[in-house]
Amino acid sequence: MLKVPYVTSYLTEHFADDAFATLAGYEKRGGYESARKALKEMAPADVIELVKSAGLQGRGGAGFSTGLKWSFMPAKSDVPKYLVCNADESEPGSFKDRILLERGPHQLLEGILIAAWATGAEKTFVYVRGEYAEPARRLERAIEEARAEGYLGSRVMGTRFAHDVVVQRGAGAYICGEETGLLESLEGRKGQPRKKPPFPAQYGAFGRPTTVNNVETFSHVPHIVREGAAWFRGFGTEKSPGTTIFGVSGHVVRPGLYELPLGTRLDEIVFQHAGGVPGGRKVKGVIPGGMSMPILPAGQLDVRMANEFLRERKTMLGTGGIMVMDDSVCMVRVAEVITYFFRDESCGQCTQCREGTGWLHKIVSRIERGAGEKEDLDVLLDVAGKMEGQTICAFADAAAWPVQGLLRHFRSDFEQHVAERRCPFGESFEL
Amino acid sequence: MPRITVDGNPIEVPEGRTLLQALDDVGLLMNGVTIPHYCWHPKLSIDGSCRLCQVEIEGQPKLQIACNTPVAEGMVVHTDSERVKAAREGVMELLLVNHPLDCPICDQAGECKLQDYAYEFGIVQSRTREPRRALKKNVDLGPTIVFDQERCILCRRCVRFCEEVSKTGELKVLGRGDRSVIETLPGVPLDNDYSMNVADICPVGALTTKDFRFKIRVWFLEDVPGVCTGCANGCNVDLGVANNRVYRYVPRRNDAVNQTWICDAGRMSYKRIGAPDRLQVPLVRGELGVPERVTTERAVEAAAARLRRLVEGKGAGVVAGIASGHATNEDLFVLRRLLAALGSETAGVATALGPEDALLVKAEKAANGAGARALGFGDAAAVAERIRGGGVEGLIVLGHDLLDPRYQIAPEDLARLDTLIAIDTHHSELERVAHVLLPARVAAEKWGTLTNGAGRVQRVRPAVEPRFEVHAEGALLARLGAALGLPGFDGRFDAREVSKALSSSVPAFAGIDLDSVGDDGRPLAAGA
Repeated sequence: MLKVPYVTSYLTEHFADDAFATLAGYEKRGGYESARKALKEMAPADVIELVKSAGLQGRGGAGFSTGLKWSFMPAKSDVPKYLVCNADESEPGSFKDRILLERGPHQLLEGILIAAWATGAEKTFVYVRGEYAEPARRLERAIEEARAEGYLGSRVMGTRFAHDVVVQRGAGAYICGEETGLLESLEGRKGQPRKKPPFPAQYGAFGRPTTVNNVETFSHVPHIVREGAAWFRGFGTEKSPGTTIFGVSGHVVRPGLYELPLGTRLDEIVFQHAGGVPGGRKVKGVIPGGMSMPILPAGQLDVRMANEFLRERKTMLGTGGIMVMDDSVCMVRVAEVITYFFRDESCGQCTQCREGTGWLHKIVSRIERGAGEKEDLDVLLDVAGKMEGQTICAFADAAAWPVQGLLRHFRSDFEQHVAERRCPFGESFEL
Repeated sequence: MPRITVDGNPIEVPEGRTLLQALDDVGLLMNGVTIPHYCWHPKLSIDGSCRLCQVEIEGQPKLQIACNTPVAEGMVVHTDSERVKAAREGVMELLLVNHPLDCPICDQAGECKLQDYAYEFGIVQSRTREPRRALKKNVDLGPTIVFDQERCILCRRCVRFCEEVSKTGELKVLGRGDRSVIETLPGVPLDNDYSMNVADICPVGALTTKDFRFKIRVWFLEDVPGVCTGCANGCNVDLGVANNRVYRYVPRRNDAVNQTWICDAGRMSYKRIGAPDRLQVPLVRGELGVPERVTTERAVEAAAARLRRLVEGKGAGVVAGIASGHATNEDLFVLRRLLAALGSETAGVATALGPEDALLVKAEKAANGAGARALGFGDAAAVAERIRGGGVEGLIVLGHDLLDPRYQIAPEDLARLDTLIAIDTHHSELERVAHVLLPARVAAEKWGTLTNGAGRVQRVRPAVEPRFEVHAEGALLARLGAALGLPGFDGRFDAREVSKALSSSVPAFAGIDLDSVGDDGRPLAAGA
């Protein structure tokens, strides 16, 4: 099993050390000093200000400013406030949070503690993807250790601040990674996103003010508190500071995790770090940030992996899950797999998503089976356009964007299917 | 009160409401401001999922759903911009991707929001070539409702109704994505006192009532505003009328009375109008005790003759009157005048009692018990006691609720009377003992007003014309008064005129008459 990313930086540098997952091992590396510093020397508002000025962006896919998100929590509240750690990691192509849970659970807990202090939250729910049995176990073990040490509980580190962490396992729905879908699931209901307003900072878990952050986002926080905003900004780009853990999969020599500064070039990751495409084949396309992000063709890999650059290429960083496809890959088949996934995972609330995901999949599947018509390609784009930006959550966008990306860069694959009335890459089974 | 601008028109709206709620509050929604919607319903929680009510709000990059967007001072809204039109087209097209388009055999056709909005906001050409969802048809959800899963657009109004209004929670969404379906859980059918409302709020032909489906195409129906007479709540209804027949009641919205709902029992009470047990022919008991079928004129004459003889012999003190909670205020006002002119001082109103609930259903199973009381008719219990004690020898009774167990009056008690004049709408035990029996009109066959249990005066009007000769209680009493030669009675009865007279002589009804109450009703004067 992979213990350590191929390339490490501050988040993952001690992951080779099995003891780092234990309290003693973590403290030996300076663990919990940041939390101690925050709780004893910093006012909550100062912590928020620090994270804001460090420019930390959420690592769950949307890239929203973490400090700003924390500041939406009401400073004064008659009811308890909660944090939620999103460890659902359901985006296909993403597997970074898993290693953060398994190899650095105390790093995560320390980040949670600091965030809890900053937002005044009395409890954190860690919502762990159902399939992540081992990561959940390791996190629970770490929580036990932290409780025993007084790092969690009614008097955290001897202060008057109280905080506890609860692990809740998911049951395997993609949509439970959406923050309000997660909250519904956490509360024991069917995982479907909530309409906004109200936003979670006003009405979140169990109706209480809540902030939801990704595992990696929390894990950066102790480092920012220890080393400062300027240090953090030494990594990455001006607009996207820090490192992130890229997960590279698909047709590469060394699939795996790579902790690199944001802004690292995609071709550098694919060809230098991951060793390029095996078997003498060529790259055909690369999905840069998990399955919902639009694909980039081989000719556009000279892009820096940060949203401000990726946006110019009509795609986004997402979760940093990089999926590499060589020239043996049928892009219609890719579209079929992707549309099948989103059709299967749509919660079914909003009209555009419920009906659109199914329609997209049916059309793409028909084209792949050789029964497509020329008009179908425009219908695909039109339906994707009608799904975009009009629903309760971003799921419909996530379902529409990959189709748009594939048609933008690989329209010829689709046209060839239509013209030849078959898949030129060979038959595939129906999903 | 925030001021907002909708399509260039300034509107003042209530604070703390969402755009659709606020427009509905001020009566402009779909009545000046067109924002089509499916999942939103004024009396249910906000769902925000159909996405049809999207509007453009200046300063917001994305379109916003009007159902869930709070109004704010200075908000500028466009409901008809190109972006909004395109979004609506998108929603309509997507809703039809899996819809069976079986309008020719669908009972909702003609009052289907999918049909209406597709015409108004959709695109002309269907572009889908894919097979549509094949789902369950003709599903028996319970005793009252049939469900067509294929037609369902998953707006989930029915689910929320069962959770929030009937609080019975029988309906659920099972599955996800385009496999989502509305279902009942095994062994728990849709069966509650308000179940049929789900058919009203279903915007499409997915939920229909067993009672009404396939009876008639709705475009043949005329909606006549009226009031349900099943209990003292007086839920507002539209009577669906065609071929001089009432085919159904559907609740008519009145936020002061029934919101947008009606109980199933009330809804089904339309059947009383054309019921086979309606009284159709006046009866007069001959000298041998055998009832004879006579004309109205002869029946009135016979009643007058018996009454006159009794009063001349024993005085008016032995004559009593029983008002009916089913008669209109106008009918009862004539009864009050008649009894006064006769000199009788014994009168009361009899109403039957039954189950009640916290939502709409009231224990008093009469639409106008409160009206009778407002007109001075006390409880009939005192009259009943006098009847049992033999102090009453002549009785004019409207309706047969006097036979309700709580009055402890048996037909045998009435058989001892010297004179029993009954005016009634339906067959009952009274027929065995009445000396004169006169059939009367029901509320759906006449003009008049009814006062519900909360003191709200509401109007009924003729929706159908009876197929036999039958008159309003007021008309029959007016003729009786004339036949008795009582002062102030010329035999004519005009509900509108009587209503005006009532309004000017009974303080509680000051300013309230048949015309001024309108179709939404008005409360009785406070403290009067």
